[in-house]
Amino acid sequence: MVSTSDRPAPRALAALGGRLATAALTAWAAVTITFFALRLGTGDPTASLLAQGLATPAQAEALRHELGLDRPLLEQYFTFLSGLVRGDLGLSLYTGRPVLRIIAEQAPSTAELAGLGLVVAVGLGLLLGIVAAWFEGRALGRAAAGLAGLATALPVAFTGILGLLLLVGLPGSVASPVWAPIRRLALPGLVLGYASSGAIARVVQAGLSESLLRPYILAARARGVRPRARILWHALRPALPPAVSLGALEAAYLFGGTVVTETVFSRPGLGRLLVGAILQGDFPIAQGLVVLAAIVYTASHFAADALAMTIDPRLRGQI
Amino acid sequence: MNRPARSLTAAAFILLALVLGAACSPSPTEPLTLRYGLTLAPTGIDPHLNASSELGIPLSSVYDTLVFLDPATGEFVPGLAERWEISPDGRTYTFHLREDVVFHDGTPFNAEAVRANFEYTLDPENHSQKAASMLGPFESVEIVDESTVALHLSEPFAPLLDSLSQVYLGMASPSALEQWGPADYQFHQVGTGPFRFVEYIPNDHLTLARNPDYAWGPSIYLASTASIERIVFTFYEAEPTRALALQGGEVDVVGEVPPRDAARLAESGGFALTPVAIPGQPLQYFFNTRRPPTDDLPTRQALLLAVDRESIVRTIFGDYSPVAQGLLSAVTPGFSPDVSFPSFDPEAARDLLVQSGWADADGDGVLSRDGQPLTIALVAPNWGSNPDVAQLLQAAWEQLGAEVTLQVAAGFGPLKEIQASGAYNAIGLNFFGTDPDLLRGFYASDGLYNWSGIADARIDDLLRQASQLPLDPEGRRERHRQVAELVRDQALVLPLRDYVDLVVSSNRVQGLRFSALGWFPHLIDLRLEP
Repeated sequence: MVSTSDRPAPRALAALGGRLATAALTAWAAVTITFFALRLGTGDPTASLLAQGLATPAQAEALRHELGLDRPLLEQYFTFLSGLVRGDLGLSLYTGRPVLRIIAEQAPSTAELAGLGLVVAVGLGLLLGIVAAWFEGRALGRAAAGLAGLATALPVAFTGILGLLLLVGLPGSVASPVWAPIRRLALPGLVLGYASSGAIARVVQAGLSESLLRPYILAARARGVRPRARILWHALRPALPPAVSLGALEAAYLFGGTVVTETVFSRPGLGRLLVGAILQGDFPIAQGLVVLAAIVYTASHFAADALAMTIDPRLRGQI
Repeated sequence: MNRPARSLTAAAFILLALVLGAACSPSPTEPLTLRYGLTLAPTGIDPHLNASSELGIPLSSVYDTLVFLDPATGEFVPGLAERWEISPDGRTYTFHLREDVVFHDGTPFNAEAVRANFEYTLDPENHSQKAASMLGPFESVEIVDESTVALHLSEPFAPLLDSLSQVYLGMASPSALEQWGPADYQFHQVGTGPFRFVEYIPNDHLTLARNPDYAWGPSIYLASTASIERIVFTFYEAEPTRALALQGGEVDVVGEVPPRDAARLAESGGFALTPVAIPGQPLQYFFNTRRPPTDDLPTRQALLLAVDRESIVRTIFGDYSPVAQGLLSAVTPGFSPDVSFPSFDPEAARDLLVQSGWADADGDGVLSRDGQPLTIALVAPNWGSNPDVAQLLQAAWEQLGAEVTLQVAAGFGPLKEIQASGAYNAIGLNFFGTDPDLLRGFYASDGLYNWSGIADARIDDLLRQASQLPLDPEGRRERHRQVAELVRDQALVLPLRDYVDLVVSSNRVQGLRFSALGWFPHLIDLRLEP
């Protein structure tokens, strides 16, 4: 995590420990809010379960009892919490399968997509941000800034369908051997990553534009440091930590925000699992996913803090 | 090379590696494979326990049923049962089973297998969402001999044969049920049908392979064994992606194509459009008879008259959907063609309201009576174009002088919640099925979906009688006709559009035909031109 060469104070580790406690509290709050929101907001799950059949009211009541849904809500909540502590996320109402297993089956697909999305988001974000700052005021810079602006403005549902349209429209594309992997992963990753690249690009551009005007850059030039690469790195380094924090936020967002991408590209994954669970009232799955989201979110923030400290040593005392 | 440039290069390499890595997966010579696009990814696909219509598209070809419903004649024809008798009191059904039938796993099909299936479906711990209720007043199953089985009911139940003809009561291998149990059987389904279940990866795909030993198909199948070797089903939940999947050559068939896309593809010449009428109820709105102002008959009648159903259907569903003409869609057995609902007549609607005391006293455009404004709480489900339809209903009723609040329920759970609160005047809900007995769930006073809140002894009696006449189809039909009349005369429901599934297939696909339930293709009869 933290680079040892610079001897971070134990203070920093204690602070991280404190963060862990906060994170656990946050996760508990998220789980609790979700539990009650799902249970109070989506109605009786047996209604959804039986929606496509013509059960008698007596049959409906029997199912409620069988699923333990006739118990007081608070009792159900504590049952769920005690299961959670033991790593048991309960059973799907629709299939009776363990929620943990269902999530584990769908997670790799989402991880793959979100991973590629993050690479694209960071890569494209850096590229667009640097180009926009370096060529500020010129056509190239304006184009990069414009692309970054569009990235935040266009919904994934739009860029996704547009991408699919272009792919289908390419003559001979379907028969080509690279078509399937592009359709399955590369295009979804690009679409997802592009959506997140805009914010990163803006932060990079803003930071870079600012530091390019700093005296130390002038000093570096005066020392004869070759322009471009070196100067770029000198100027970029202080501009990166905010971008990294943002990248971590985006990573968490990507993980949860694959919902639309997965639907548009018909990919399996957690996003579609979540939508299906909520629409059909399979609340144990939705709850399980919220627990997972809380973990991913917290973990990516840890990673971001650690990374920010590595890049900018000045931050080490502050966290 | 400096650091950012290096990481950018690395990123580019990772991307390239991902693309190429996936591209280099081996592709052995494929068997003749049909790719079929599904439109929902159901949670749970065991038809005995789960209820989705979508699951039946693949699985009605994995299972055979004791009987089949012939879509052409509306008659039940032999399936796994060669013949059957219904006792004069309508409470015992005796099925004589075929003796030459073997499950895909080699287990022989016999009376014991039938019993195992019913026990699995009815076990309360297995939480059957549909199949269990389809058995109605089921009492017990009796093994008469190796190939004869008797079902005993506590009272006559006319829809039983219809239930037994559906995939939800398809016959599964008792050894597979035993081996996998309710949570995992869905991934290892074993039937006796023309296709065998290969694998199911949730949200990704489901694969079937032809059953070369299939030799006991019902008369409704044209082919005796399937010609297509494999069928791979994939999911297209986002509507605009269905046409793209067809154009891109990803799938050969897909259902529920939006009307505009369907028309465009059909005109393009490379595709065939098959509109499939789905039996059951039309898209419809129930009027709440327990809440003013819809507790008042003339007001309900006026609301019915004020809606231009034809124009709503054309606007939203294009030219492919018939305007609904009754409680059941026109292709449903038991539909009463001679009970017609009143057609659009805004003046008559206005007159009715005026005659029953509604007037625009303060000139604000909203009618009122006894100081109460004509306020309609309209509740629409969020599926099946209901939100669009509801907007047009809102406009029509506002035109009439009502104040209309529109609420779209985000799923069935929330819809049921609003319904249970009683805070609605009109609410949308429909149900698919081939037996008119489904009306009992909606218009009997104790029906699970009696959302108009009607409690009419005549309707209750007629529906109960009809459900107990398994041997008298004409008697049933007549009673359902009378129910349709009563419901129409009391203006309990506004029927709008008969459901039509727009299935589009590439021209390579031949022999696309559908079961009586509408949704399910006879996969055995499909052929794929090279």
